[in-house]
Amino acid sequence: MVARRRKRGARDSEQGIPSPPGYSAIPIKFSEKQQASHYLYVREHRVREGTKSSWPQKRTLFVLNVPPYCTEDCLSRLFSPCGSVQSVELQEKPDLADSPKEPKSKFFHPMPVPGFQVAYVVFQKPGGVSAALVLKGPLLVSTESHPVKSGIRKWISSYADSVPDPEALRVEVDTFMEAYDKRIAEEEAQAKEEEGVPDEEGWVKVTRRGRRPVLPRTEAASLRVLEKERRKRARKELLNFYAWQHRETKMEHLAQLRKKFEEDKQRIELMRAQRKFRPY
Amino acid sequence: MGPAPAGAQDRGTAGEPEVIEVALEGTAKEGKKESSKKRTLAGSPVEGLLQPAKLSRAELYKEPTSEELNRLRETESLFHSSLLRLQVEELLKEVRLPEKKKERIDAFLREVNQRVLKVPSTLKTELTDQTWLPAGVRVPLHQVPYTVKGCFRFLPPAQVTVVGSYLLGTCIRPDINVDMAVTMPREILQDKDGLNQRYFRKRALYLAHLAHHLGQDPFFGSVRFSYTNGCHLKPSLLLRPRGKDERLVTVRLHPCPPPDFFRPCRLLPSKNNVRSAWYRGQSPPGDGSPEPPTPHYNAWVLQDMTLESHVQLLSTVLGSALGLKDGVALLKVWLRQRELDKGLGGFSGFLVSMLVAFLVSTRKIHTTMSGYQVLRSVLQFLATTDLTVNGISLCLSSDPSLPALADFHQAFPVVFLDSSGCLNLCADVTASTYHQVQHEARLSMLLLMTPKPMIRAFDHILHLHPLSRLQAACHRLKMWPELQDLGGDYVSAALGSLTTLLEQGLGSRLHLLAHSRPPVSEWDISQDPPKHRDSGTLTLGLLLRPEGLTSVLELGPEANQPEAADFRQFWGSRSELRRFQDGAIREAVVWEAASMAQKRLIPHQVVTHLLALHANIPDTCVHYVGGLLDALIQSPKENSSTGEEALAAAVRCYDDLSRLLWGLEGLPLTVSAVQGAHPVLRYTEVFPPTPVRPAYSFYEQLRERASLLPRPDKPCPAYVEPMTVVCHLEGSGQWPQDAEAIRRVRAAFQLRLAELLTQQHGLQCRATATHTDVLKDGFVFRVRVAYQREPQILREMRSPEGMISLRDTPASLRLDRDTRHLPLLTSALHGLQQQHPAFSGVARLAKRWVRAQLLGEGFTDESLDLVVAALFLHPEPFTPPSSPQVGFLRFLFLVSTFDWKNNPLIVNLNNELTVEEQQEIRSGFLAARTQLPVMVIVTPQDRKNSVWTQDGPSPQILQQLVVLAAEALPVLEKQLMDPRGPGDIRTVFRPPLDMYDVLIRLSPRHIPRHRQAVDSPAASFCRGLLSEPGPSSLMPVLGYDPPQLYLAQLREAFGDLALFFYDQHGGEVIGVLWKPSSFQPQPFKASNTKGRMVMSQGEELVMVPNVEAILEDLAILGEGLVQAVEARSEKWTV
Repeated sequence: MVARRRKRGARDSEQGIPSPPGYSAIPIKFSEKQQASHYLYVREHRVREGTKSSWPQKRTLFVLNVPPYCTEDCLSRLFSPCGSVQSVELQEKPDLADSPKEPKSKFFHPMPVPGFQVAYVVFQKPGGVSAALVLKGPLLVSTESHPVKSGIRKWISSYADSVPDPEALRVEVDTFMEAYDKRIAEEEAQAKEEEGVPDEEGWVKVTRRGRRPVLPRTEAASLRVLEKERRKRARKELLNFYAWQHRETKMEHLAQLRKKFEEDKQRIELMRAQRKFRPY
Repeated sequence: MGPAPAGAQDRGTAGEPEVIEVALEGTAKEGKKESSKKRTLAGSPVEGLLQPAKLSRAELYKEPTSEELNRLRETESLFHSSLLRLQVEELLKEVRLPEKKKERIDAFLREVNQRVLKVPSTLKTELTDQTWLPAGVRVPLHQVPYTVKGCFRFLPPAQVTVVGSYLLGTCIRPDINVDMAVTMPREILQDKDGLNQRYFRKRALYLAHLAHHLGQDPFFGSVRFSYTNGCHLKPSLLLRPRGKDERLVTVRLHPCPPPDFFRPCRLLPSKNNVRSAWYRGQSPPGDGSPEPPTPHYNAWVLQDMTLESHVQLLSTVLGSALGLKDGVALLKVWLRQRELDKGLGGFSGFLVSMLVAFLVSTRKIHTTMSGYQVLRSVLQFLATTDLTVNGISLCLSSDPSLPALADFHQAFPVVFLDSSGCLNLCADVTASTYHQVQHEARLSMLLLMTPKPMIRAFDHILHLHPLSRLQAACHRLKMWPELQDLGGDYVSAALGSLTTLLEQGLGSRLHLLAHSRPPVSEWDISQDPPKHRDSGTLTLGLLLRPEGLTSVLELGPEANQPEAADFRQFWGSRSELRRFQDGAIREAVVWEAASMAQKRLIPHQVVTHLLALHANIPDTCVHYVGGLLDALIQSPKENSSTGEEALAAAVRCYDDLSRLLWGLEGLPLTVSAVQGAHPVLRYTEVFPPTPVRPAYSFYEQLRERASLLPRPDKPCPAYVEPMTVVCHLEGSGQWPQDAEAIRRVRAAFQLRLAELLTQQHGLQCRATATHTDVLKDGFVFRVRVAYQREPQILREMRSPEGMISLRDTPASLRLDRDTRHLPLLTSALHGLQQQHPAFSGVARLAKRWVRAQLLGEGFTDESLDLVVAALFLHPEPFTPPSSPQVGFLRFLFLVSTFDWKNNPLIVNLNNELTVEEQQEIRSGFLAARTQLPVMVIVTPQDRKNSVWTQDGPSPQILQQLVVLAAEALPVLEKQLMDPRGPGDIRTVFRPPLDMYDVLIRLSPRHIPRHRQAVDSPAASFCRGLLSEPGPSSLMPVLGYDPPQLYLAQLREAFGDLALFFYDQHGGEVIGVLWKPSSFQPQPFKASNTKGRMVMSQGEELVMVPNVEAILEDLAILGEGLVQAVEARSEKWTV
């Protein structure tokens, strides 16, 4: 192990760190104490023609392999020497489209445990990206001036964060429900308005709330109807009425027996293979 | 374990023991054996996986031949089903002697015959003068007392004939024995040889001389002595061929007197043939008291005389009836699996053959019956007939000179007379052996494949060791006549009275008492026969009655009754006069037992007390194996209870809480159901919770939210796991129809619930969006409000055409599991615990073991509980376990032998599944096998999906468990069966660590459950609890377990590179196993860079795991918790 490390160290100094085409690698370590480092693979954020992306072209740096202890603030600090950073977003997977930006409730969507992530770092000026691409490491996540919590300290602080504030929760629930009720009321009002009014082709939409309610269009309901039909048909059928039917039932029974026999033989074969018949 | 015969079961046919079901089971070891043997099975299914039969239409519907129709009809009338028929046929094929071997054996027998006849004769000498015997051979008999009148000379036998099962064609593998009767010529014997062991002395000398000559013959591979059926007055000579046939056959030579030499009337059970004057070396007491009868002695002489006539009888009966022979062979397998056929007093194959003959003579069995029907009829007969009360007889004559059955009943516990009417075939069978046979016959009509070793069949086991103590016991019990009868065999003599003594003492606690039979030893001809005390240990098995176990009192008669004296005499100093609440003053014995665990061990107290009192056996000689595993599930600070009481206290507290919830006023909707959903509430939490009262100074305090927080500078606080309770609300049309909105409304209910509980009952509560934590009497409950229709709503999908269809989503499945399945399961298992008090102990031991093997994360709590429940609901061929120990052993056996690939484990909770439904489940399982998880557990509520094993275990983890169980079982059984004490019982609970690539050592300071470790630490850290529980106004730290948090982080970060193993009960080590597949160099992909780095390999750039950095990450992520990271293997070096 040691030998390998030394070898690699030598190679690093000679020819730089290997990186996949289009990316450049920046070593990153938790703190001074660590010997080995992870590598961030960074490149300019580009999308194919025609695809939308909310991150500004030219100014966004796409970062792969962000270690779990590295937070958004941390990345922002680490990349700030290249140019002032406008925003940093960490995600589990590379994602072209910007995720819906509505702020998630901390009560209803607790923070997931982080693993290795990808980051989109948006600089204020395009120069930041090119500066970041030639950044020489190793970057240090936790320094004397900006210590990053990990282990016991981190768990304790996240436990403290998880103790909820009932008042805040209540306020959030109330605001959400108010908005929800309002939306439902609006929808209902609209539905009422459309009730019985033919559209431009003359069709009238029939709903459950109308004067003559109809079955809800669900899969279960349609299956139920089909099943009813089938049963009705089965009731009308005559069983063992004609001689050929009788013959066929007998044959069917025999076939069942044969099939069972075949299956049993298979079972026995398997048991024999597993040497089950040795009661000793 | 050997090529483990399958755990035979048809799970769920309790009460209908009609079916042999040989489960298809495979263990790793078997797999190995299989591959080492040549496999010639061309058509064997792929990888041992069953597939639904595929037959072409033409094949299915072709015209049946008459042969086929016949076979189908026969199957229907003679067997239960075609599978059963095939199984029986297959089994018989396996145990039968093949023709080829038969020829070789026949040739060997002819040789033996000739050689025996050629042994030269000797001169006549006194019996006591044994100097003529050459130095290389010893007399195979304990000659006590030595002096016997009479002369002996050797003459070649008058006749050598083959007798026994070989001749009848009913002998079964693996040990092929051929019995040969060697008729001694009349000239050797004298009148009155039947007296004072003279016949047996001559018999032994005859054998010794034979042995000497045959031993010099190079034709034989080995020539050794043994006892005939364990009877130590009757040695026999074992001959085995030389060379590669050594294991083929054992020929046993039994010398016997010429026919009609002894007069049977001299050998009736009431006669005496061993004079006290001779045996005890003292003149008979002058008062003319009659000599004691010697029934066993007489029976042994008679047995020798009737060898041939019995064979004749059997061969006329079994003659050409193939079915009967099959039946006898099956019965022998059945007996062997139960270890009933060996040793003195065993229920041997000969006895069952005679029993079949008896049933044929009474027309209970017909000669055209199939082997399966014969087996069933015999077991049916055994189950319903008590030979200890109503003996049976093969004798047809009504000669008035013959003794009555009653005479035999006086002399022997079990009576089955042969055709002469003088010999009791069951002379050596003790009553408890017969009861065991009966018990087995009743219990499991037809389960042939599972071996039932004593340790796994009985709840408690007891070894008597050393056996020489029994000699003293015989003196104490005044058993001179018996010793005289049995020729000094004090083990057999004491056995009968000891078992009656213990049966009487254990009374209602006992279901069945069985004893091991002294094994038949074999010894070299140049050695003295083994002493009685060398015949190993005497092991008694106790099958307990759970309902009798709860009482600590033996109630005796009222003090003024005459029986009171007997009671006092029986219990000795333990009996005391007590006044009861109804005013009666009675003799009674009270045992000290406070907890359930101690009550389970009252039989131990009873046994040691009675043995010491009546048989003079001190408790140092009694090794009681009943509660040795209890230590593993005892809470760290207590050692008198195995936690049933603590669990009951928690459940009581939960009951109180549910009552409060029911009666809560002011909720917009009333509570419609409160259901427990936590292992504690079904009694299967390994370490039950204790009421907590935190010491505030130990914590950081968050006053405004009435909560405590852990402090970084202190050791980790005690682990408090909230117990989940699901609370259903009454239905209402007011609920919103949108998943997000429902969550908000539920959150509002949680808040309201907390408020009301605090207001109305003064309970400390803390509400979050998904649950409300309630602190009640030191226990913390996590109440979750559930809305019945929520899973339904999560499932709804709207297709583009506007059709609403229901599709399972991960969220809906999870919710359904947590709010519907889990409460149902919890209440069902709670009910099971009420029926079977040992359930809790077994389930907790089982989980403890799985977790101690670091596999706990792979299995859900519920899946293991269900496996244990299966042991109680489908115990065949055993009875439901009544002690944690035996239950745990069976758990290991089930896990190691069940074939998860081809069978679902059906756990028929509350007996809701009918046999047809089970059949349907099985066939459905086969059809859908590929979509189902590796381990499928079916319950009445969950017939298709196996919800508890959906997310694990993976095939590898399951395989690992199977391997570990298969290794642990024999080790543990050996320990428990060792009469010198089990040694370190925790051995099988210590995980092997050498398989892991990296070990992460954790600091005990931050392991909150450190004291629960298998090897409990002598000292640990203070966890911030006050010793006396009391009310607390601040919520303790809940569910804070740093190792678990650490593991969650590790799995998230490195889950696709490695597996992590940990024992949540105080483990100090996390085992890390690299996944070999992810260590293959891979081409660069943006989505797959986690924890990897790019390396140039030749011309290419490939990605490999950045192991050195990861190893350092392990320490960083667990800062404070991790003591050291040990990389142990280099195999990751790419």
